Amino acid sequence: MTIEKRPNATADKNAPTQAPDRAPMVSPGTGPKLPGPPGVPGTERFRLLAYVKQESMVRVDKRPDETLLTWPHLLRAEFLMAMLISGLLVVTSLWIQAPLEEMANPAVTPHVAKAPWYFLGLQEILSYFNATVAGVIVPTFYLLGLAAIPFIDRTPFKAARDRKLMWVFFLCLMLGGLLVTLIGSFFRGPGWNWVWPWEGLFFNL
Amino acid sequence: MNAVMRFIKESALWRSLFRQPYPNTSRTRALAVMNNVFLHLHPVRVKRHAVRYTYTFCLGGISFFLFLALTVTGLYLMFFYVPSVSRAYQDIQAIEASVAFGTLVRNMHRWAAHLMVLTVFLHMIRVFYHGAYKPPREFNWVVGVILLFLTLMLSFTGYLLPWDQIAFWAITVGTQMALYAPLLGQESSFFLLGGIQVGQETLLRFYVLHVIAFPLIAAIFMIVHFWRIRKDGGISGPV
Amino acid sequence: MTQHASYGEVHGPRAGEISRRGFMRRMLGVGVGILSLEFLGGTLAFLWPNLTEGLGAEITIGSATDINNAQPEWKNGLPYIYGPANLFIVNVPAAKARVEGDGSVSSPIEDPGTDLDEDLPLADRSVLALWRKCPHLGCQVPQLCDQSQWFECLCHGSKYTVLGEKRDGPAPRGMDGFPVLSVDGVYVVDTSQIVNGPPPGTVTFDQRAPTDMPHCTG
Repeated sequence: MTIEKRPNATADKNAPTQAPDRAPMVSPGTGPKLPGPPGVPGTERFRLLAYVKQESMVRVDKRPDETLLTWPHLLRAEFLMAMLISGLLVVTSLWIQAPLEEMANPAVTPHVAKAPWYFLGLQEILSYFNATVAGVIVPTFYLLGLAAIPFIDRTPFKAARDRKLMWVFFLCLMLGGLLVTLIGSFFRGPGWNWVWPWEGLFFNL
Repeated sequence: MNAVMRFIKESALWRSLFRQPYPNTSRTRALAVMNNVFLHLHPVRVKRHAVRYTYTFCLGGISFFLFLALTVTGLYLMFFYVPSVSRAYQDIQAIEASVAFGTLVRNMHRWAAHLMVLTVFLHMIRVFYHGAYKPPREFNWVVGVILLFLTLMLSFTGYLLPWDQIAFWAITVGTQMALYAPLLGQESSFFLLGGIQVGQETLLRFYVLHVIAFPLIAAIFMIVHFWRIRKDGGISGPV
Repeated sequence: MTQHASYGEVHGPRAGEISRRGFMRRMLGVGVGILSLEFLGGTLAFLWPNLTEGLGAEITIGSATDINNAQPEWKNGLPYIYGPANLFIVNVPAAKARVEGDGSVSSPIEDPGTDLDEDLPLADRSVLALWRKCPHLGCQVPQLCDQSQWFECLCHGSKYTVLGEKRDGPAPRGMDGFPVLSVDGVYVVDTSQIVNGPPPGTVTFDQRAPTDMPHCTG
């Protein structure tokens, strides 16, 4: 139930003219008339303007619920995450030793020469295709394709069912990349031959 | 004790640093974020879902935090490292053997670097999932792809620096891919390596790119990235 | 300008003309663009590698006698590994005899001669300088494999004949090499220009298929 207080003197533009020589803003016939002498304190009248249900009330005036203050809510979240990651990093670094092999020697090729892990997908593709295709066209297409996503998909809809094509495209890039990277990382051994992970792991971080 | 604290807090020095009391009202909290150069990367108020861990998983924030951690640990390592074919490997060994906490710092730098590549990828997947590349955020998505590329380049150039067998052959194999470019492939490889094969020139080039050029470029793009988040209306809404 | 008719008269220069201010603005833009390009070009020029030693220079290998002294098997066709520049120096006539004799040579060839012209087919030259960097992904190509008498890259299994022609594996072409000169009987390799290896499918010598014999790598 919403009741609006309408003091005659200030708010009610539909009330009869306060000054006799001034024309009413709305013709008197259209608005409800309020009796009573204008401008006299203690004689204001109240009337029912609208009846608004509770749920819609929330929707109408939702703003205070939508946002939080950055200090402390966001900063607390960030701080906790920073602490968590720092802790994780220190513990990992205490336990797991970063690899360091013998000094670089151009005269001795190791049996397995692999690029860093994020390029192993590319290296895997290089063993399938012509070098120009795999070495240049695929990575260029990959990066440009990623960058072009917002310019291909111009609709404002975000739900997955409204952008099926983009999802397929993106998943192809991601899962395809993941697949060849995994194969290149864990299933390739000396001579780039197929090796099952349990037969030997040829992978360096 | 209280008197000392009061004296400090009422001193001109303190008050020139902190313009308001500890922020514990809405007004002072808003001012604290607005008036601080570091905090003002943030808006004063954020959307409720932006604070939920399960919305963003903090992936962008973690990537940025790892970048900062890498800057600090990398700075430490620089004090003990010379990018020379004859010294680099011995320097790494010395860092591990005789520098206090040297092993820890080197390990942290390496694991944080790998983790950052991973979180940047995951961040991109999260952003795609929420359709957050939609207008008006197209440009910021492109900036993000550039940052992904720079992250890979940062990691790749750093990979050579220990000058061990893993590093040498990984970079040999990795840069050979540049040779396959149909135009100027040979030239670009020659330029990148500073010669025909991986050697002293390559080590110096990769070192300079790794410690200053790429971090600087990445930092500039990060500023743009964060700025655009705010200018495009804050973090995107749920699907 | 007809499409603007409904908005009244169009001010500014007539179609096809350009105002002075517009011209200046455009020239300023062009100037800044040129300046940026110059800056980019200057940066590239400044950072261009400046090689004074090692690969990139003319490298003196030595006379045939020197090579035989350094590696006695050279006269029996086993390529000489010149470490500083990462090269195989192939004694072509001896190497051909070695491959045909399946690893053994009846009459060693001490001095292959000076037929070094780049126009000659690989098999007719006296000496070849093959770069040990595999054209696939840059691994070091090891010495001739005993079982197959081929160069077999350990990294990704590319295989080349003793003349550097590709026979198997993922490499895009045969082994790259450098021109060899003979100065008063001393072999000199000009490493300033890389000669790309022969395209795949080139067969001038050694007709064997990969399945004909055992290999060092898979």
